[in-house]
Amino acid sequence: MKNRDDLIEGLGRFSEPALYILISLADGPKHGYAMTQDIEAVSGQSLGPGTLYGAIARLEARKWIEALPAEERRRPYKITAAGKRVLRHRLESLRAVARVGQVRLAGT
Amino acid sequence: MKPETLLRLYPAEWRARYGEEFLAILGSGTLSVQQMVDVFSGAIDAWLSPDVHEATRIDSLEPNAGGSKMLKAMLACEGKRTRYTKRDSLVGSGVMLGVTILLCWLGVVAKHSGWTAAGEMMVSMAFPVSLTLSMPFWVMKGQPWKAQVVIVGGTLVLLVVIGWLSYAFS
Repeated sequence: MKNRDDLIEGLGRFSEPALYILISLADGPKHGYAMTQDIEAVSGQSLGPGTLYGAIARLEARKWIEALPAEERRRPYKITAAGKRVLRHRLESLRAVARVGQVRLAGT
Repeated sequence: MKPETLLRLYPAEWRARYGEEFLAILGSGTLSVQQMVDVFSGAIDAWLSPDVHEATRIDSLEPNAGGSKMLKAMLACEGKRTRYTKRDSLVGSGVMLGVTILLCWLGVVAKHSGWTAAGEMMVSMAFPVSLTLSMPFWVMKGQPWKAQVVIVGGTLVLLVVIGWLSYAFS
């Protein structure tokens, strides 16, 4: 079993925002504002700046994302290979949970 | 409240690292209550979280400073140790338990001496006071001393004021 620190779930209340950030960066680097727009479009969740940068700092500390050189006032971030690995793992477990849920719903 | 004023709630290293982006996201419009709550809780998190502290202080070094790569690597390794250990948890728990027992005992003595309201206040404040006093030993370990003084001292003052008010109006 993986160490909890190596999983997105280990980020506690920041695990959901961190998941959205990793999904947002999966198709290319983005800065904070672009991430919030993308996340809102994809999930309907509006991340405030306190939550967004709390999650970004945790992802940076774990080397799951990294900052690129700043462009004007904004600094883009990109997902790292380790970040892709944890994102893939999390999406697979979510898919398994969704599958079980759908099977159980179909049986009722 | 202006976004620049809200930004000052965050530690200097955090502001240096994320301040510009933070202001760009907040914009110049009026903030909703939800955004204000998010900014305040983010500020508390920025002061308390070892992860946030680690991410911001490593980045706050000048990129071209001599030997900065080695220093960054050393800080990154040292940063892993700022998380509290099992021993820190035990010490924190010991402080919490000890202060709780002490305040409860003082409360019982006060009640038996006829100071019922003061005794009730001490018993009801035992847990929040002990939790606050234990924070420097675990969750705030490794944080700047100014942050510890403001958060622990400020919370204790607030608790004393609440306790005094409940005593005065009982």
